[in-house]
Amino acid sequence: MSAADLVSEVEAFIYREARLADEFELDEWESLLADDFHYWVPAGRIGGDPADQLSYLNDNRARVATRIRQLKTGKRLAQLPVSPIRRVVSNVEILEEGGGEIGCAANFVLYELAVQSSGELRVWPGHVRYRLRRTDGGLVMAAKWVELVNAEAGLRNLTFLI
Amino acid sequence: MGIDYRGLVRDDRVHSSLLHDDQAFAEEMDRIFVKGWVFAAHESEISEPGDWVTRQLGNESVIVARDRDGSVNVMANRCSHRGTALCWEHRGNSSSFQCTYHAWTFGLDGRVRSIPFPSGYDKPKEELGLDVAGQVESYRGFVFVNLDGAAGPLRSHLGDAGYALIDRLCDLSPTGRIDLSKGWIAHRVKSNWKLWPESDSDGYHVGFVHASMSDTTDTYYDDVAIGGEAVSSSRALDYGLGHIELDFRPSFQAELSWLGTSRDNVGDYCAALEEGVGTERAEQMLWDGPPHAFLFPNLFLGELVIAIVEPLGPGEMIHRHTSVQFEGVDDRFNQRLLRQTEAAVGPASFITSDDAITAERIQSGIEGTHRSWADDGRGWIDLSRGRHREERDVEGVLAGDLSDETTNRGFWHRYLEVMVERAPA
Repeated sequence: MSAADLVSEVEAFIYREARLADEFELDEWESLLADDFHYWVPAGRIGGDPADQLSYLNDNRARVATRIRQLKTGKRLAQLPVSPIRRVVSNVEILEEGGGEIGCAANFVLYELAVQSSGELRVWPGHVRYRLRRTDGGLVMAAKWVELVNAEAGLRNLTFLI
Repeated sequence: MGIDYRGLVRDDRVHSSLLHDDQAFAEEMDRIFVKGWVFAAHESEISEPGDWVTRQLGNESVIVARDRDGSVNVMANRCSHRGTALCWEHRGNSSSFQCTYHAWTFGLDGRVRSIPFPSGYDKPKEELGLDVAGQVESYRGFVFVNLDGAAGPLRSHLGDAGYALIDRLCDLSPTGRIDLSKGWIAHRVKSNWKLWPESDSDGYHVGFVHASMSDTTDTYYDDVAIGGEAVSSSRALDYGLGHIELDFRPSFQAELSWLGTSRDNVGDYCAALEEGVGTERAEQMLWDGPPHAFLFPNLFLGELVIAIVEPLGPGEMIHRHTSVQFEGVDDRFNQRLLRQTEAAVGPASFITSDDAITAERIQSGIEGTHRSWADDGRGWIDLSRGRHREERDVEGVLAGDLSDETTNRGFWHRYLEVMVERAPA
């Protein structure tokens, strides 16, 4: 596969993942995940051992399944009704490739309308590191690490899929 | 016009204007956060000489620093010359604090170390130090501060109950020491700060606000808090002095329920605890777990989470939390506590994110009320639940059903006392 083809393939995956998260297509989003998926939003910059830090979010596959189940109960006050959100993903780069996996990165800006409470339009700027894995069924996501620009300043509720 | 706090905080209800009123907020920052004792930091955050953290105590940004002699100093994060903030990071280590404006330098105790071109001053430099806190006292690593120094000893603020609650947490660590140095996470909420002591200690809401959590995953809250008076024998306690607890101990169905696990999954923890305090005491402690309590005015002992309530304005605050880490246990045990904290508390958590929404909805509901409405019977918040059935036990603790507002009333009762007692003459 040429470098350009690889970038196109990765971008197509990332854009789809973003759209499914934006539109709360939770089952479809979950179908993108590897069994050992790791979802991480650190309290500061990406770095160090995630297991040994207190983070905003540090989900293994089982916990992200619980997160999705909670959103689907219809009783999740923090997403009742769900926030209209849209993100723009850009600056996609392939960082490494090998062993059937692709490490890649992107920047994003996400807009959220907090319709459950204050009605504010919130802006969530950040950087994502993905670890994608090739399977017979196509690419799956083995890790998604999200470094928020404002992580250290504290956050409002973060109860959608970032 | 002065605020008639007695008229607005009654035994069975509170006027909602106190949750958004600018004047009330300003008076609270003075009477509660300057004239009273507040929690500031934990000594494990500043274990080495020169370690410091910054904290927001009401309107005052302070530096909490470990001096070379091991003492803990608390001083304004504000240069005594022209007011420039000295520290921009949340934590660090340094031998002194230097202002970036005119390079005035202060020691870890806030005294002037050096001033450039000192011949320009005819004052003694002793008069030019930082504003330092009037009183600083620690108990088992918890550093409490009274900024104006006139609040009397810490014991008069914590009372026996405050010490006992801290003991119940720290004693669960095999060494008797806990560590709070994993960093704090700030959850920003558009609500009045007083809604969080209420929420953190409200046993009535759990089955409603947190239904999505209990529907999704099995936790010990199913046994101790969900379902209210119908299934739980947990209690809402008011110890006086504004210190309150949701006491889950009567409802636990197994030892280590509070860790969501059993003896087989915690390594040497149980053995280490037994070695420290004896088998019999350890057995009881492993059953009881840590307290779920709020110490007036800003410290939440949330089982294995510690949180600080940080007011930013009448309708804005930070709920800042960290995870309790025990000494003398393996890394895996402490990592379990980190994961448990992430699940329970913070912007992306399964639990307090729903409390944040609830607090913001309250703020939205009450923001238009005015204290002049009180006499017309409008704009009140009802806190009467369980008044007719709460009882004072032999130790003087007021106890209600978990779902009763005994805790909420306890907080507001103390609020009223200090707002009246500490009013300017």
